[in-house]
Amino acid sequence: MDKFFTGLSGFSIVLLTAALLIVLVPMLLKGGSAVFFKGTVEFRKMQADIFNRGDDAALKNEKERTRRAREFIYDSIETFKNGIDPAALSEKVRQINRQFGEQLKDKGIEGEDYQSLRSIARELRDKLIEAFESNDRNLINENIKFVFSYKQDNRLANSGMKEMFAIAEKFSRAIENVDFQKRDRYAQSLGEIEEIVTQLLGPKPGEPVPVLAMARYGATRWEQAEKLKEQLLYPVRWVGGKPGEPLVAEKYSRQEEFKGTAIEPLFGYVDKELSNMLEPRRTFYWQFFIDDSINSHYFGGVGPEILGTLLLTIVAMIFVIPLGVISAAYLVECSTENLAVKIIRMCINTLAGVPSIVFGLFGLAFFVLYLLPLFGAPSKGNILAASLTLAVLTLPLMIRASEEALRAVPHTYKEASLALGAGHFRTFIKVTLPAAMPGILTGIILSLGRVAGETAPILFTGTAAVASIPKSLFDATRTLSYGSYDMAVGDRIAAMVPHQQYGMVVTLILLVLILNTAAILLRWKISKKLRGH
Amino acid sequence: MKEEYLLKAAEPAAETNQSLVLSPLQDIKGFLFLHIGRSFLFLVTCVSVLAVLLIFYFVIRQALPFAKMASLTQFLTDTRWQPESDQPGFGALPFIVGSLYVTFLSLLFAVPVGILAAVFLSDIVSFRIRNIIKPVIEILAAIPSVAYGFFAVLVLAPWMQKRLGFSTGTNILNASIILSIMALPTIISVAEDALCAIGAELREASYGLGATRVETVFKVIIPAAHSGIIAAIVLGMMRAIGETMVVWMAAGNARQIPTPWWDLSQSVGTMTAVIAGDMAETPKGSAHFHCLFMIGLLLLLFTFFLNTISEYFLAGAKKKMGKTR
Repeated sequence: MDKFFTGLSGFSIVLLTAALLIVLVPMLLKGGSAVFFKGTVEFRKMQADIFNRGDDAALKNEKERTRRAREFIYDSIETFKNGIDPAALSEKVRQINRQFGEQLKDKGIEGEDYQSLRSIARELRDKLIEAFESNDRNLINENIKFVFSYKQDNRLANSGMKEMFAIAEKFSRAIENVDFQKRDRYAQSLGEIEEIVTQLLGPKPGEPVPVLAMARYGATRWEQAEKLKEQLLYPVRWVGGKPGEPLVAEKYSRQEEFKGTAIEPLFGYVDKELSNMLEPRRTFYWQFFIDDSINSHYFGGVGPEILGTLLLTIVAMIFVIPLGVISAAYLVECSTENLAVKIIRMCINTLAGVPSIVFGLFGLAFFVLYLLPLFGAPSKGNILAASLTLAVLTLPLMIRASEEALRAVPHTYKEASLALGAGHFRTFIKVTLPAAMPGILTGIILSLGRVAGETAPILFTGTAAVASIPKSLFDATRTLSYGSYDMAVGDRIAAMVPHQQYGMVVTLILLVLILNTAAILLRWKISKKLRGH
Repeated sequence: MKEEYLLKAAEPAAETNQSLVLSPLQDIKGFLFLHIGRSFLFLVTCVSVLAVLLIFYFVIRQALPFAKMASLTQFLTDTRWQPESDQPGFGALPFIVGSLYVTFLSLLFAVPVGILAAVFLSDIVSFRIRNIIKPVIEILAAIPSVAYGFFAVLVLAPWMQKRLGFSTGTNILNASIILSIMALPTIISVAEDALCAIGAELREASYGLGATRVETVFKVIIPAAHSGIIAAIVLGMMRAIGETMVVWMAAGNARQIPTPWWDLSQSVGTMTAVIAGDMAETPKGSAHFHCLFMIGLLLLLFTFFLNTISEYFLAGAKKKMGKTR
């Protein structure tokens, strides 16, 4: 029974430690990947374009190498597409036909010649388009044969119509192995493939540069690229189970699906050559902590969030440290346990128990809606209001810590100073306060950690998910805490980049943990000193 | 060299020409400084009192207009929460129930574990091991609530959905588990203080009478420290009920009372979460806006009440400590 009880209570401690590890370790690991990861050439391109970083010459070589490695992909897609998706070809043929007419006019050909050439061209156009859109192999062959019969006609062969013959040739080659029955399905699947390739390698060379920075680059991280590769090679389809049951995910091989077509070698190529196309390299992206974010954290770092958090914390501390230390000094040095002090103590305890969201409401009602308009400032959340709210929130913490530190100073110190003729004030400033300083410092560090991590009080008083870097205390700011919330719940784009989500929250956790470790070490040192080692 | 030093020492100390008796002016000055200084310190200390008063005043000030706009009985008993519809319903009951749900469920996890851990720390292990375990508890307390919420949404919720087959990962169980982890440090540290304050005499007397460890803990120490332990539980409860980010992120923000009541895989909304979630989209001055303040006031009164209880029990613990010593 005794052993059982000991084991049970020991188990509760194990549970506690396990909880700590389960919460922290996965987040720290995933968050670490925001800074340590394998960056691809796309990452380096992005860094060079947006942040002006990296070695230009080396990047140029890399770009050239990867461009060559990627050519095969684009070529095989192009070839396959010609056989599958005739809409683009039809459009081209129509265009050639129009241009041909204009060319004839430019050359000064008129009258009957012009009419006959135009009608031939029109007929060729119609036959080709019919062939493109048909699923009947005989018809297609016939039409193409018909088109080719004009190939020898000098009037056509030496003009713009040359291109039309080239297209016809390309088409006849492309459809050699195509199963016409599968055309629609191929077209759909091809769309998916193109989409994935764009995500993987960025927009096709020669296409217009997209407006959004996030669309301008392919997979910037190797694990992203591998995930896309998996999607490309082995996509998932949802297969209906029995009626009434949920659909089941099933992987299938895209290579099998496209067996025998012009695009088949693409899959093997991607599987083997992906690293040559992207050149992944171990990257230590320490600038994550200073960079601004691009496109809602799709790229970039958490610089403004760290800045905002520090600003809020420091401004709050400027208010709360003097208040806290002076209050503690009064409670320790001057007060007798009378009614006033009892009320003060009760209020401090009440303040410590007020839920953080109520502090947020208070900050909104008092600082934002009442005080700011009183001083003629716009009535919207800003750093000052948020800091003041946080200052009120940490006041009890600060008072308690300082009080404890002041009380821990041995009476003999004070008595010695008083006996030497120093006044109460001088004794406090020169003897008690310095002796209590490490303890007060511990309290300050702990309050810093608390302030940095609070979210609810600043929700309505001065934080925003999207804000420019603050220029004065009357601007709203981004913070790590609210950013973590927003990335986890609110932000759709963030869900696509888990490393950024975890990177944000881990930055916050690290900040708080560093502060707390410092406090623990400091206290350990003090207790060692007090024990007289 | 040595002689010089001796000579110097032999000299009388430099005499001051100040008289040791203060002049009346100096006396008055000193008196005034002391009292002005003291009253200044007193005033600064009163900032905490002022803060509490301001919090109550401003929350009440923004909450009162709601009492004029809608009925308070409906607010407390209705379950329809449709503040933005044409016929607005301001029934806050689902949120009150939701808050109670997650709070009590989290205490159900946290209290046994917390008290066992406190007993473990105060009665079973040595001082050295205690010093190793304490930082673990401190770090658990230090992790920001938004980080816990993040964990709940992105790690625990998908796990629950996948492994436990829940229809939604953000539910009562999820929020309660996280809240219990967050309430644990508070419960452990307050309970451990109370257990340590009992002193060695009681323990020694109990062991001396031949009681085993279990008997000593359950029949002597815990009864002796019961007021401190109750205070610990109440403080843990305050921590859980006042927590915003975790429940906002992990409880699912549903606007209904869970039915059936024992199904913990349902989503609920809590008072804190509805304030946090709705405030940003509410036009200032609307009934909805004031209603949120009313919920805040309710929360404030609730925690104030709990705080008073914990104060009472802590004071009891202190008194008892004085007696046994």
